[in-house]
Amino acid sequence: MNETSSETNKEKILEALRVSVVEIMSTMAMSEVIYTGRETVDNFYLSKEVCGLVRIGGAHEGMIAISCNLELLGVIVSSIVGLSVDELQRDDLLDGAAELANMVGGGMKTKAQIPGVALSPPMSIIGGDYMAEWKTLRATEILTFQMELGILQIHASL
Amino acid sequence: MRILIVDDSSVMRKIVTRGLRQAGFKMDEVVEAGNGQEGLDALAADSNVQLILSDWNMPVMDGLNFVKGVRSSGNNTPIIMVTTEGGESKLQAAMGAGANGHIKKPFTPDTLRETLGQYFK
Repeated sequence: MNETSSETNKEKILEALRVSVVEIMSTMAMSEVIYTGRETVDNFYLSKEVCGLVRIGGAHEGMIAISCNLELLGVIVSSIVGLSVDELQRDDLLDGAAELANMVGGGMKTKAQIPGVALSPPMSIIGGDYMAEWKTLRATEILTFQMELGILQIHASL
Repeated sequence: MRILIVDDSSVMRKIVTRGLRQAGFKMDEVVEAGNGQEGLDALAADSNVQLILSDWNMPVMDGLNFVKGVRSSGNNTPIIMVTTEGGESKLQAAMGAGANGHIKKPFTPDTLRETLGQYFK
């Protein structure tokens, strides 16, 4: 793949991620979400309380992660499963973070329509004090979304 | 109406159950299974399941092999695949194995009504 088509795929993926997050939050979590912008950083570094990760492979390789605080994840999962936040177990939150990453990745794949792109099963991390880093030589694009109770970010190293 | 939901994500099983209720479908009982093998076991233990909703990617036994297992046992209960991606080859494989339809996540109550309404009449 030449540099131009790689850059084209990257932009398709980022736009598909943006649209997917808005769609998932509005249709499944019934939550208002506003895309507030994108920044480029030179590492893939996660340190918020929650992350859900999906690896992209095949025709275009990379990693995408959702990242937010635990309170916001609780509200999102509560909304999509129809239980109160107090009723959610820790496994529900872990499972919910993974499922959100899975849906965002799946939505991206469907919308970007790049032949030969594959997704790994999702992985999630929840904790009050962790740091996670994926060693990559590529830059990471961070898409930021404002929700009522906090900020949701998508980290994409593509 | 008895529904079997086969998905390794407990959150997704809750999401599907909630979506069906929001769509207005009346369900007597929702039976849950965490993978295809558990789904086959659930069907063997309960012959009154009238609709099956199954994920694709699951440990132990995936959705495709679950569909094959159901049909090879002579069970003709409608099976709808619930997946995050709409890959044509996967869908064709599922339909070829005996699945009856497909729902892509994220879905809305309207989507569920359109796709599943015929099975709730």
